Amino acid sequence: MAEFIQYTITGIAVGMIYALIALGFALIWKSSRVANLALGQLVLISSWFTYSMTVQAKLPLWLGMVLTVLFAIFLGWVIERFTLRPLIGQPILSLIAVTLGIAYFIEGLVTFVWPVSVAALPRFFPLEPINIGPAVVSQEYIWAAAISLLLFGLLSLFFKYHKMGIAMRATADDQLAIQACAVPITRIFSMSWIFACIVAAIGGILISSIGGITYGLVETGFKSFSVVILGGMDSFIGCMVAGPIIGLCENIGAGYLTPLIGPGIKDLIPFIIIIIVMLIKPYGLFGEERIERI
Amino acid sequence: MSLPCGIRNFSYYTDTAIIRTRTQWLLFALFLIILFTFPLYVPKYWLGVINLVGITVISIIGLNILVGYCGQLSIGHAGFMAVGAYTTAILTNNLGMPYLAAFVCSGLSAGIIGLIFGMPSLRVRGFYLAITTIAAQFIIIWVINHWTDVTQGFMGISISQASIGDFIFNSESKQFYLIIPITALCVLFATNLARSRIGRAFIAVRDNDLAAEVMGINVFAYKLLAFFLGCFFAGIAGSLFAQWVGFMNGENFTFGDSILYVGMIIIGGLGTSLGPILGAVLIRFLQQFVIFLSPMIEHTFQGLPTGFATGISSMVFGLVIILFLVFEPRGLAHRWSLFKASYRLWPFPY
Repeated sequence: MAEFIQYTITGIAVGMIYALIALGFALIWKSSRVANLALGQLVLISSWFTYSMTVQAKLPLWLGMVLTVLFAIFLGWVIERFTLRPLIGQPILSLIAVTLGIAYFIEGLVTFVWPVSVAALPRFFPLEPINIGPAVVSQEYIWAAAISLLLFGLLSLFFKYHKMGIAMRATADDQLAIQACAVPITRIFSMSWIFACIVAAIGGILISSIGGITYGLVETGFKSFSVVILGGMDSFIGCMVAGPIIGLCENIGAGYLTPLIGPGIKDLIPFIIIIIVMLIKPYGLFGEERIERI
Repeated sequence: MSLPCGIRNFSYYTDTAIIRTRTQWLLFALFLIILFTFPLYVPKYWLGVINLVGITVISIIGLNILVGYCGQLSIGHAGFMAVGAYTTAILTNNLGMPYLAAFVCSGLSAGIIGLIFGMPSLRVRGFYLAITTIAAQFIIIWVINHWTDVTQGFMGISISQASIGDFIFNSESKQFYLIIPITALCVLFATNLARSRIGRAFIAVRDNDLAAEVMGINVFAYKLLAFFLGCFFAGIAGSLFAQWVGFMNGENFTFGDSILYVGMIIIGGLGTSLGPILGAVLIRFLQQFVIFLSPMIEHTFQGLPTGFATGISSMVFGLVIILFLVFEPRGLAHRWSLFKASYRLWPFPY
């Protein structure tokens, strides 16, 4: 039982981080119909950047975080301005392929700048584990989940009340109408990429403060894809619901299946979920079902 | 501009000919002679590179059928290649099958696995399909890494070189005469496929699947056929790769390779018969160039941490893919046809 509670709590907490990263994907998809396959690489590069700032340059932790967010803003702006904007109106194949190109480039850049393959961020959450019933859970997980939830709340408020947020939702709804209202649509695209990079950066900091910075962070991106697919591509609520589900499946599945099947099953579970969802309910739990014949 | 100035077609036979004029035949013969005498004067190392290019061309011809003609994006092509490669390895090692039989079986097994992962294409497209094929890539490689009884997992598996009867292809130049003719046959097959009913149906499905269905094309069947053919090519390329490289594990077929294959057909030109060749040649030789350059860069900037130059190749390819998509989305094949059109008209502007 203790095991089960432990798996559940860590699963939900990690799932919240996946949900946060997936939110960045859904944002871009909603506003500009671009599928960002470079998600994991964005997580990777911002985690390494935090490492550089806090460990290599020995800046105080808060300053390092602020600089990482600034870096994420810059990254998002550069990506949108120089790769996605020239491709507005191109077929979806080019849009997907260009994000693959970005992914490849960022991976190379990370190896180029940080050739060491493993590093650890300074611990900034209290370390003592806490007891929940019979289970012992490391506090980091609880903190990570709380921060993700807080950010999700802030973003929802932003989309609900801020002028820019409303404009972004309107863009998702009808691009022609919003252009007729004299809203610069390219700025909206730019903003959505910036937001996506920020949430990827924060998700990256959270997840690498728990597990360290490795190449495995790229797989966080794939797990976030499964969150997006399960939740529905154009739904924020879907992300928040599907994230913990994926986290749970992954942790409980890994906990109980590893003795049966062997190590490594953990990495496979998100992909199996993707295939199952594709075959049964391709538009996800909360996604808008577009009626079209394929 | 498909014909030189002053040439007209007066019969169906000449209209469908790929090589039309005497000059073209002459150039083609010259090209073949130069190509097939490579082993006489090309050093062994570069012969290996050319063999790898040949294998890559076969593989991405399949990807071109799938993505370029039928419009079904697949980012798991390296995974399908792995299926073919391991089929060959298992059949020749464990069952002692002759290479040629294993070669055909590899294509078929990869094709069937491709069909399975192509099923969702009946209901989804675009990004959804891309993510499904990514899942396929990871599931295939995971199975290879963990099904240790058969595939020997991370340890890797060794494969003896191909042989027909008593003749063993045991040197780079013999491998060359195995790989390049098969590549040439595949190029011919793909070129003709694109001009046949099947190819035209693929293009119709790509451009507008609803209209294609109204015209009486069975969209489901053709999508699945595209998956089968695309993965069949990947399978035979994998089979050739397995016996060429001699020893492999899951690391030979990474997700990065899958991205690179998509990049190659974009750089070469989607939906053209020339595209895969140009893309594969360009990227593989660029790789060699980077391999050649990396030690020099590391040597020049010694203050930087060691090993940083390994990132250069990924950076270069990512950049090349992005630049091509932004500035020349129709690829090198389009450039080539523009060039051909202009030299046929020269010195007149049009």
